[in-house]
Amino acid sequence: MINYLANPVRFLKFSKIATPIFGCLALLTMIWGLYLALIKSPPAVEHGQSVRMMYVHVPAAWCAMMAYTALTIASIVSFIWRHPLADSAARSFAIPGSAFTFLALITGSLWGKPAWGTWWQWDGRMTSVLILFFIYISYLALWSIIPERKKAARLAAILAMVGFINIPIIKFSVDWWNTLHQPASISTPGAPGMPPEILWPLMMMVAAYSFLFGWLSLRGIEADIIKSRKIRSHKAPAAKATIETL
Amino acid sequence: MIAPILRRDLTLALRSGGAWLYGVFFFAVFIALNAIALGGSLNVMRPLAPALIWLAVIFSAMLSFQAIFQEDFNDGNLAQLKLSGVSLINLCTAKTISFALLSILPLLAAVPIAALVFDMPRDVVLATTSSLLLSTPAIAVYGVLSSAILAGRRGGGFLIVLITTPFLIPVLIFGLEAIEGFSKNGLAAIEFRIVIGLSLIAIAVGIPAAAAALKAHLE
Repeated sequence: MINYLANPVRFLKFSKIATPIFGCLALLTMIWGLYLALIKSPPAVEHGQSVRMMYVHVPAAWCAMMAYTALTIASIVSFIWRHPLADSAARSFAIPGSAFTFLALITGSLWGKPAWGTWWQWDGRMTSVLILFFIYISYLALWSIIPERKKAARLAAILAMVGFINIPIIKFSVDWWNTLHQPASISTPGAPGMPPEILWPLMMMVAAYSFLFGWLSLRGIEADIIKSRKIRSHKAPAAKATIETL
Repeated sequence: MIAPILRRDLTLALRSGGAWLYGVFFFAVFIALNAIALGGSLNVMRPLAPALIWLAVIFSAMLSFQAIFQEDFNDGNLAQLKLSGVSLINLCTAKTISFALLSILPLLAAVPIAALVFDMPRDVVLATTSSLLLSTPAIAVYGVLSSAILAGRRGGGFLIVLITTPFLIPVLIFGLEAIEGFSKNGLAAIEFRIVIGLSLIAIAVGIPAAAAALKAHLE
């Protein structure tokens, strides 16, 4: 499958079919999930109406993690086999990934105000998501600061891989730091006894976010392939001209 | 092949007219600015002193990261070294050692002076110095890595801080926890072992990654 898609032409053929499917599924599950989450599901006992924030917050945080994992896998492929499509993929995962991380931070903060009475709490989870956001930003900044595409891809892949090794270490250290400085004060909504009328819309929203992530990444890869083709076709006459003038 | 590169770096630094000391001056300026911003009361600053010293060391190191490969890359020395068959891992190891010796050790020597102006107890000074000493390899390796990634880029100053921050956060957290642990268990505190572990992970991961980044620049 991966071998088959490694060819940009075949990939474009595949994405021509896959991209609209992902887009439609994202739209459908998003509408259905939002209806379930915002209208149909009951307010929670402890949180009241503000629990509805969970349905947009938790999937964003999960997708942020998933996107970084996908980014690392693409980076490993790009580093070992030096495949240009893997470079496009890594970069196209990073852009929605950073957006999801930002969304998770913002919605978490908005949910924190009614739930804990504060916009921000330096607890282990929030701090590590914030650091993940920094990693995403530095990854994207590295891409934009290096003009040579191949070099940028290789260096960004190295940064992504080292960053991936560091994520568990950061998580561990932030949790350690947090438990020493303040006792955990947050009731996690992901407790095993979640009733189905809350679990079901949550799963729907997770599916919606995942399809949205897939759609955005596929669009990103497509745009990247087309752009690099354009650059190549623009270069040819310029090269000819210099030979003629010489 | 590590020793000749190290000797060259040290000689260059000694002949640079004291450019390697700027980091120490920055350290002093940072401490002074903090004292001024905090109102200059020793009672306020004494409990914050280890954290302020750690921040001063980290920022001073971050500002010198850019220079690790910059000049060698721009004047072609790096390409020459690669052509002469020096393994890039050795080169990065040598650069890590020279950075630790030239940019971090002088800061450690300045810690007792900072301790005087903050009126820190002797135990805390000892704890701060040992936690900084044990995390020196981690700071130096991540500096070499980010400098290798950004070699030859102008204006990468802010970006190098951004890139290294996530890597240095665990070191900062455990470095400061170690100072707290020192008051109970001395050097046997578990946090010191974690700091050593972070340094070893940094060496194992960072030096090959830095070598790979340099290779990407030179091919």
